[in-house]
Order: sequence, then C-alpha cells, then structure tokens
Amino acid sequence: MTVLEVNNVTGGYTRKPVLHDLSFSIGKGELVGIIGLNGAGKSTTIKHVIGTMNATKGEILLNGKTLKEDPALYRSSFSYIPETPVLYDELTLLEHMQLTAMAYNLEESIFKVRLESLLKEFRMEKRLNWFPTHFSKGMRQKIMIMCAFLVSPSLYIIDEPFVGLDPLGIQSLLNQMQARKEEGASVLMSTHILATAEKYCDRILLLHNGKIRAQGTMEDLRAAFQMPNATLDDLYIEMTKEQQNEQFA
Amino acid sequence: MNNLREVWSKRFVYYINELQKYMKYIVSGHIAIVFVFVIGAAGYSYSEWLKTAPLDFPVFLLVAFLLSLTITISTPVTLMKNADSVYFLPLETKLDEYFKPALKWTYFSTVFVSALVFVVSIPMLTKLSGLIKNEILFLFLLILVLKYWSMQVEYSYRFAESGKFVWVDRFVRFVLLFIGLFFLLTGSYVLAIAIAFICVMYLVVWKKKMKEVAFPFDHFINVEQSRMMRFYRFANYFTDVPHIRGMTKRRKLLNFVYKFVPYKQQNAQLYLVLRTFIRTDDYFYLWVRLTALAMLGAIFIPMPIVAIIFTGALAFATVIQLKHALLSGFEFRMDLLFPIDSNARLLAVEKLLRMFQFVQVVFVLIGIIIQGQFTLLMLLVPVIVLVVSELTLRISK
Repeated sequence: MTVLEVNNVTGGYTRKPVLHDLSFSIGKGELVGIIGLNGAGKSTTIKHVIGTMNATKGEILLNGKTLKEDPALYRSSFSYIPETPVLYDELTLLEHMQLTAMAYNLEESIFKVRLESLLKEFRMEKRLNWFPTHFSKGMRQKIMIMCAFLVSPSLYIIDEPFVGLDPLGIQSLLNQMQARKEEGASVLMSTHILATAEKYCDRILLLHNGKIRAQGTMEDLRAAFQMPNATLDDLYIEMTKEQQNEQFA
Repeated sequence: MNNLREVWSKRFVYYINELQKYMKYIVSGHIAIVFVFVIGAAGYSYSEWLKTAPLDFPVFLLVAFLLSLTITISTPVTLMKNADSVYFLPLETKLDEYFKPALKWTYFSTVFVSALVFVVSIPMLTKLSGLIKNEILFLFLLILVLKYWSMQVEYSYRFAESGKFVWVDRFVRFVLLFIGLFFLLTGSYVLAIAIAFICVMYLVVWKKKMKEVAFPFDHFINVEQSRMMRFYRFANYFTDVPHIRGMTKRRKLLNFVYKFVPYKQQNAQLYLVLRTFIRTDDYFYLWVRLTALAMLGAIFIPMPIVAIIFTGALAFATVIQLKHALLSGFEFRMDLLFPIDSNARLLAVEKLLRMFQFVQVVFVLIGIIIQGQFTLLMLLVPVIVLVVSELTLRISK
C-alpha cells in the first residue's frame, strides 16, 4: 500500500524550478532516505510534501488525497521534524507537547502516557517547565522530535535529524523510528550521515539537481552506478564527480 | 575592506536611512499626536507657572540636577555588529579610525538633549535667579564642554572595564557634575574649579587604564545591539519591525488564566495565542499601558464627552494593534501544519481580544467608581469601549 505518492512534481522558490518532474513513492512501513548534495533539492522536496510550497506542476498524494482535497486528513497524516528547531519562545517544553497533542486531537490520557515515555527516552524529564531560550541546540532538536513522535501519523518527515544531537539522542531517535516502522508507519528522512542512512533505510533516493539520479535499495543503487560492493559513501562521491564533470564539460 | 573610516561611513549612511525609515511612521503615528498635545500643555503651564513662581524656588538645584542627569548618560553609539569581533580583530591597532567618527556622532547626537534642557531652563534662570546674558552664554558653552568630557569618560571606562559596573562610573560623574554645577551657579567659584580639576583627573585615570587592556568587542557589540533593539522596539509601536524578537517572561501570577482554555482540539490555537499574548512583553505591556491610560482617563477627565472619545480611541488602538501583531509574522511556525481549520488562528485572536477588552472595560468601570460621577453620559463610557472594541474586531482585516 502506498502512503506517499509524488507524481511528476516541478516546483521551486521562484519561477526557476528547483525540482524537475520529480516522482517517487513511499510504501507502508518503509523508511526512505533522501540523499543529495547541498542545493540538490532535498529540503525543497520536503517543503512541497508538507505543503508550505506549492508545486507548479504535478501532484502529491498522502493516503490517496492531496492537501487541497482534504486539508485536515492530509495534515493529520504526517508529522514533521524540521532541519533547524522551530519553537515558541513563550511556551515551555510541556506546553509544546500539550499544544501538539491538542492540535492532533490526542486523548488526554494517551497524551500523558506517551509524554512520560518520550521524556524518559530522550532524558528530558527534569526540564518540563523550561523555556526554549534555556535549551541547547540539541535539546531544542529533542523537543521537535518528541512533538513529532507524540502523535502517530502514517508518515514521519524528518529533515537532517542527527545534526546537534548527542550519540544517545541519535540512538533514541533511531529507536523511535524503528518502533514506529514496526507499527506500520513510514518515514521520509533527509540526511548527510550516509553510514546511518545505509544501515537503516529500506530504500534511498539519490537526488541530483532536482531530479532523481537513482533510487532503490543499496543493491539497486550499486547496479545503477555499476559499482558492486560500493558503500553509500562511494556512490555519493561518484555522483559528485559526475557533477564536477558536468561543470567542466 | 581595510579602511575602517570607510566602514564607518557606510554603516552610518545605512543607520541614518534606517532611522529615517522608521521616524516616518513614528512622526505620523497616534502617539506623536499625543506628544504634541502634552508638550503644548506642558509649555503653557510652565509659562503660566513662571508668572507666579515663588522667588525662593530652588532653581539652581533643579537645573543642576537636570543638566547633570542628561550630561551623565552618554552611551557610545558605535554601530558595531556581531561579526566585528572576528573581522576587526586583525585591525585592533587601527580601531581609532573607526571610533573617532563614532564618538563624534555620539557627541552631536546626544549633546542636544542637555542643550534643550538648558534652553528650556533659561526663562527660569533669568526670571527667578537674575542671571544675565553673558552668564547664560558661558553656561551654554560649558555644557558643550562637559558633555564632551562625560562622553570621553564613559567610553574610556567601558573600554577599560568592559562595561562592568558602568552605573558606578555614571553615579560618580553625576555627583561631580551636580556638585560642580551647583557651586558654579551659586557663585562658589573656587570650589567649582576644584571639582573641575577632579573631573580632569578622573578622565586621565580612565584614559590611562584603557591603554592597558585589549578592546572589549563583546561589550561594545552588546551595548550597540541593545541600543538598536530599544529603537526598534519603540518603532514597533507604530509599524511592523522585522528585526524585532519579542522578549518573553513567564508571568506566573497569570497562570490561572490558562485554566479557562480546556484541553481539546478546537482550543489549540487559543491555547497558543493566550500564552503568546500574556508572555510576550511587547503585546502584554501594550495592553497594560493602554488599559491603564483608559482607566486614568475615566478617573481624571471631568467632561463625559471627552472621556468617551478618549477611552473609545484607546479601545480602538488596543484592538487594532494587538490584532495586527498577533496575526502578522512571516516566519514558519509549526502551527501552520496543524490539522485544524485554517481560520482557527483568527478566531482564537478574536476570542482572546474579546476577553481582554472585557477586562479593560472592568478597569474603566473601576475608574468611574473612583471618580464617583454616576451620570448617564459617564456610564456610557464603558459601553462605548465595548462597542468600539467589537466594531474594530469585526471591521479590521
């Protein structure tokens, strides 16, 4: 069953598109990594999926509906962790969680149970009544992660999740992703940490100049680049070389 | 860019443009009109008071106090930026090129305050204390010199001590200026000269100490940032300032208000907006100020018609400014992704403003009770506040 379908999407910030005729899909319970150089279009793709940018061509379906067709269903079908934490200076950690739970219509009793286990997992129990100005970058990121995992949508969209997190935080995040996957949720994750992507992702999209250069399992990618036994790092560097060759050509 | 003087000039032009841009809004804003009335009224009462002022009024004490206060506060305007601590570091020995014009601007942009205070005091000094023209002129020139001294000391002190305990230095300068000016005005010239000597020595000490330390970039950058922030915050009362990031405080005393918003999906935006309003200084104090003014109006304005216009205008100003402030903002916020009605924010803001305008009415009512004039017209005041608030909410975008 397909959860997310991106069909022939063209779009960008100005008239000049960043994404060119982009198509991919994510199935139920799949963890898909989106990999590419700076400026390849990873964040732009994500912004189109979450609906803060509109495609000039093509359509994006989440659980079979576009954002326009059913905004409430579309929005409640995903939760999003942005690359840089976006927090409210005037809300405490607890209030961030409570606001999210309210907005996603979570029952109060379920909220309390999930809150407790997330606080424990991310070691933030003692900071419930703190304001974000007193948090480090990593802790701010943890608030975003906890808010995202508080609700259980069918798709988690995670942009560069590992930057700023301590090793225990990274482990906790991976645990959460794994657990949600087992419950049938899907994950779309953009990252530069290739070793982690290679280890955890079911499929990988290699994005290059707003187009998909190759996609599939590691085996599929190796075949596409004709590099058997290559790691994701090797493939990534190969793609970089292609770009350089294009520039010098 | 190695020429620091050029860096200064560029920044200065940008700074002046920035000031002009916001001054336009400030001058045309409603508070400016209030200022004009207040200044006019104050000027009129001052001239009336002069006609009947008692001859034993402590003019010298008052003038010495006001002048010392305005001369003392000489925060340097450096236009420094965050990145300067990195990029100016290799140019540390050439920093003079930058600070000479900076201090010159600091001087000319602040000396006029003291000069203005002095000019306003002239009628008082001539009428009540019998100062003659030459004495006035001498005093005026002296003020120009004292301001220069004060500014140089403040800069050197901040340089030498990285701004630690700058209030102690300010207190010392204030006392020296106050005593010195008082001696001078009362004709104790020897004592005044003695104070002048101490002033010179005080400057020499800090100039010397300043040479022993490295330039405290962080301090001057912080001073400059908070200075610009104050300006932007002030300008923000008149128009939208993109640079501004509101300061927030918990305000624990008001926690009970949050209980009025129970846990359910429809209340998500109200939950957020209520906290944003109460905890963001800019929004909350705007409401407190205008509510306090409305209450004072209800207490002290004897004519009901004037009270109605006054409180009505304040209710309009409260609602229109807060609605605009709570609904504007160009940055991405997580609640934009919430699976709730896209109208929810607007509805929440309207609900919040209805709640707080009701509280404003209660304060106005208390004002009327204090005044004790229970005529029909006076009781119309709170009704008008409610009606104006509601109409503003409905009609404004």
